[in-house]
Amino acid sequence: MCLGIPMQIVDIDEFTARCTAKGVERDVSLFMLQHEALARGDFVVVHVGYAIQKVTPEEAATAWELYDEMIEKAEAIEGSRHA
Amino acid sequence: MSSAREWVERIRVLDLPRPLKVMNVCGGHERSVTMSGMRSALPSSVEIVPGPGCPVCVCPEEDIYQAMQLALREKVTLVTFGDMLRVPVNAPKSEPRSLVEARAAGADIRPIASPLEARRIAQQSDRPVVFFAAGFETTTAPVASLICEGVPDNLTFLLSARLTWPAVAMLLESGESGFDALIAPGHVATVMGPEEWEFVPQTHGIPAAVAAFNAESLLAATWSVLRQKVEGRCFLDNCYQALVRPGGNPLARQQMDQVLEVGDANWRGIGTIPASGLGLRSAYAEMDARVRFPDYNEAGRRRMGQMPPGCDCARVVLGRIYPNQCKLFGKGCDPRHPVGPCMVSDEGACRIWWSGQAA
Ligand code: SF4
Repeated sequence: MCLGIPMQIVDIDEFTARCTAKGVERDVSLFMLQHEALARGDFVVVHVGYAIQKVTPEEAATAWELYDEMIEKAEAIEGSRHA
Repeated sequence: MSSAREWVERIRVLDLPRPLKVMNVCGGHERSVTMSGMRSALPSSVEIVPGPGCPVCVCPEEDIYQAMQLALREKVTLVTFGDMLRVPVNAPKSEPRSLVEARAAGADIRPIASPLEARRIAQQSDRPVVFFAAGFETTTAPVASLICEGVPDNLTFLLSARLTWPAVAMLLESGESGFDALIAPGHVATVMGPEEWEFVPQTHGIPAAVAAFNAESLLAATWSVLRQKVEGRCFLDNCYQALVRPGGNPLARQQMDQVLEVGDANWRGIGTIPASGLGLRSAYAEMDARVRFPDYNEAGRRRMGQMPPGCDCARVVLGRIYPNQCKLFGKGCDPRHPVGPCMVSDEGACRIWWSGQAA
C-alpha cells in the first residue's frame, strides 16, 4: 500500500489534476503538493489518489519499467493459479 | 545507474566478516525482492529478511471488530481500503469474522482505493459514513490532507494509523533485533523525510539505506549497507534521491501535524509500542469515530488483540521467522483461505512469498 505510481498531469483544476498513466486516467489530489509549481505535462508520484512528490520524466519511466514487470509476473501467476 | 547484475557482482566481491541479515520494512520492497528473484542471485552469506512492512497485518483486531460492529449495529456505511475486507478477527463461529462476512450479513461495507472516494461516498449519502483507515505514514498523510481540505459532516474516521520507525526502534532496543543492516522504506521517507531513520546508524550502530522499489535500487542499498559493515563505519545512505529529499514533503508533514497526534499504539500480536500510532487531535473530535460511537469491544471478548489460533504472523511481521516457517503456510493457509492477516494483505510477507513461489 505504500507504493506510489508515477502519473503525468493532463489538466489542473485548482487542487485536482487529471492524470494519466498507461492509458488510464484518474483525478488526483494536489493538496499535499500545493508548494510545488506544477503544470500540464509534469510527472507526479501518486499514492491512494494523492500526489506525494514531483518526479522527473526519467524517474517516472524507470519506475514504470518495474511496475510493468511486476504486473506481468502477477498476471502470469494469477493465470497459472486459475488454470 | 548500474544494472542489477553489476550490483550483484559488487556484492559478491565484498569480504563480509560473517553472514549478514538485511531487513526491509516495506511490503513494496519485499514484493520487489521476492518477484525479482534477488534472493537466489545473492551470495548465501547475505539474507534479506522481511520485517514490519504491513500495516494491515498489525491493525489491532479490536479495531476491525469495532468497524464491523459500527456497520452492523450503528448502521453506518463503512468504507475501507480493500486489503482490510478479508482480515479475520477472533469471534464465535456464529458471528461474522471479517468485514466481508459482516457485509454478507447485511452491513453496508465498501472497499475504496482513495480517501477521495470516502469523501465522495459521504457527499452522496445522507447516512453516517465511517472511513476505517489503517496504514503507515504514506497512506495516513493523504487522510490528513483530506481532513485539512474539509469533509462533509456525515464523514467520521476510525484511524488505525501506525508509524514505521518505532517498530524498528523497538526491535533494536529489544537486544535481539535479528538483523545487521536496514533498508528503509522509500515512499515513507518521501513523505516524512529520510532523517527519521538516522537513529538506526547513530544510536544503534546499524548501517541503513533508503531504497526505491526497483531491483537496481534495492541492490544498491543492499551493497551500501554491506559495504558499511565491511568498512566498519555506518551512516544513512539515500539510494532513492529522485524522490527522497531532506525533510520529505514539508506540506504533507504540516497537514499531518495539524490534525494528528502521536500516541502509544497496539500492534496486533505484538503489543503496545510507545509513540507508534497517530490519532486525531481533540480539536477534530467531531470527526473521530472513536469519540462519536460507543466502543463495542467488551473487555472480556475472547483472544482480544491476538492473531488467529495457529497463525505465526506476529513473528513473521517482526522478521523472527520467514513465512514458510509457519506450519500453516500453504497447508491450510493460502490467499483463498487465509488464516492470518499476513496472507490477506498484498503487503503481507506470507501473501508475497506465496505469490513468489509460482513466479
Ligand atoms: S502462513 Fe498464514 S497462518 Fe501462517 S503466519 Fe502466514 S498468515 Fe499466519
